[in-house]
Amino acid sequence: MRKMKTWKQRQNRNGYMFMIPWIIGFAVFTAFPFAATIILSFMNVNSTILGYELKWTGLSNYITAFFKNVEFVPALGGYLKVVIPYTFVVVVVSFVIAYILEHIVKLKGFFRTIYFLPVIIMSGPVMAKLLDTKVSDMELFAGQSYSDIFIIQMIASYSRNAAVLVTDVFEQLSTILWFTGIPIVLFINGLQKINPSLYEAARIDSANEWQILWKITLPIIRPTALIITVFTIVQLGMFDINPVYSLIVTYMGNTSGGLGFAATYAWIYTVIVLMLMGIAFLILRERKNKVKHY
Amino acid sequence: MKKHLTKKIISEKAMRIIYYVLLVCVSFVFLEPIFRIISKTFMTPEDVIDPVVDWVPRKLSLNNLKVALKVLNLKVTLNNSILFSALLAVGETVCAAFTGFALSRYQFAGKKFWYVMILLCFVVPTTVLMVPRLMMFVTFQETIKFTLIGTPIPQLLMSLFGQGVNSTILILIFQNFFNLIPKSLDEAAMIDGAGPLRVFFHIGLRLSYSTVLVVFLFAFVWNWNETYVTGTLLRSGMQLLPQKLALFDSEFESVVSSSGNAFKINEAYKMAATLISIAPLLILYAFVQKKFIEGIENTGITGE
Repeated sequence: MRKMKTWKQRQNRNGYMFMIPWIIGFAVFTAFPFAATIILSFMNVNSTILGYELKWTGLSNYITAFFKNVEFVPALGGYLKVVIPYTFVVVVVSFVIAYILEHIVKLKGFFRTIYFLPVIIMSGPVMAKLLDTKVSDMELFAGQSYSDIFIIQMIASYSRNAAVLVTDVFEQLSTILWFTGIPIVLFINGLQKINPSLYEAARIDSANEWQILWKITLPIIRPTALIITVFTIVQLGMFDINPVYSLIVTYMGNTSGGLGFAATYAWIYTVIVLMLMGIAFLILRERKNKVKHY
Repeated sequence: MKKHLTKKIISEKAMRIIYYVLLVCVSFVFLEPIFRIISKTFMTPEDVIDPVVDWVPRKLSLNNLKVALKVLNLKVTLNNSILFSALLAVGETVCAAFTGFALSRYQFAGKKFWYVMILLCFVVPTTVLMVPRLMMFVTFQETIKFTLIGTPIPQLLMSLFGQGVNSTILILIFQNFFNLIPKSLDEAAMIDGAGPLRVFFHIGLRLSYSTVLVVFLFAFVWNWNETYVTGTLLRSGMQLLPQKLALFDSEFESVVSSSGNAFKINEAYKMAATLISIAPLLILYAFVQKKFIEGIENTGITGE
């Protein structure tokens, strides 16, 4: 007679039976490449007919990246200049839209359908073509520009960089908004989960909508906002508006020694992305110990 | 008292009007690029460079569409793109279903660890993984003497083993749906002698046809729009619509000038090509938009 297995053993066996394809894939296609990139970033990679020639070069790739290569550091700066304001705008705008959508009755589905549309059609080439056309349109209608607006000029008188940043955000508004598709749905989902009796209790205590928004809705929605921030940073990294990305792609096509550089750049870039997410986490994490006890 | 109430009603009405105005404005900003694509598509070359013509072309011209169709080689690329995306989507869906089922049904050792790993997979940028992946596939194809680069096989393998485009989200959709199926159904089946695979196919999958469809559609669309991994591993092994669009400017020169025409490339041609390449997705969205939105709602990553 076959020996009976315990419940725990069966759970283990069956669970891993279903997990095994993913675990194999994870080990081969994600965990191993991730570790390999770190090692490759210290190497010079030459692709020859016989295969890859690896040579340990120590920190030389990093030195080249930061001090010798004229493209990399500006590209990183460009990336930060894009990702920080864009993420901020995406999170705020998608929350506002989700909040409004929660407070209307008619045409809710219609608006949601419009706001979700970009998720379906957005791809690198489409984005590139749109930005392309926008630039040539700007040249055509040279007279009108956001930098002429009074408020922007006021900002410019304090700090030119801030004005350029604000102008950029307005000029790219459609592009930025195209990243809000999924965040809006997630925010709506989060808002719907807030217990309505909390609102009722606040109203009985004569709180107005504005107070309810700041004292109840926002604190409860904070974890969702964290997820959405991380999600947006990931999404923004995958498109051509990210200059580091196109730089890495160029280096990957370069067969003589390019792969090692690509690995170094990709690795530095990943560290920065993870750091950004860490900062987002620090800002948006739940602060439990701040609750006052009376 | 009454005065106070009417005041409140009026302010609520005003608020509602402000909300709708805002929503319509935002909708316009969302759709502006698409309107621009459509309006440019039908412009004649003269209209494109005329600063007076902003939105509505003076004369409708179908010439742009015709030329773009030819340059994009639509008959071949459309078929290829659909086949390619569907193939990868099937792979991703199968793996996501298995993994989602494991996470929802079994309490195995190290489950928390794997769950965190699944989430981390989403966060790590694909760029950091591509160099070793490429080298791995090249080395592998040298050893077995069988061409892998330039075929969909590497990506199919990655999808089948759960490392395709946004596989994490697909797994979460499945996990959350399987969580909704009562466990007593599994137990009933197991008492009748069904093994875990039978439970998966006859209870898990049987009840989740619509989830399978949602996941498949997402995987399809994401694989369609993905160009980075495809550009690295498939390269020009298959003519795909988004890749063709990316190369449109250079292809335009060769196709049009070889046929003896003296068109110069302009925005209108580019926009016509863009319209053609997003049209299949727009049509798909028109039919199943509800499913897409529900799919994202069901990931449950906003915390249950």
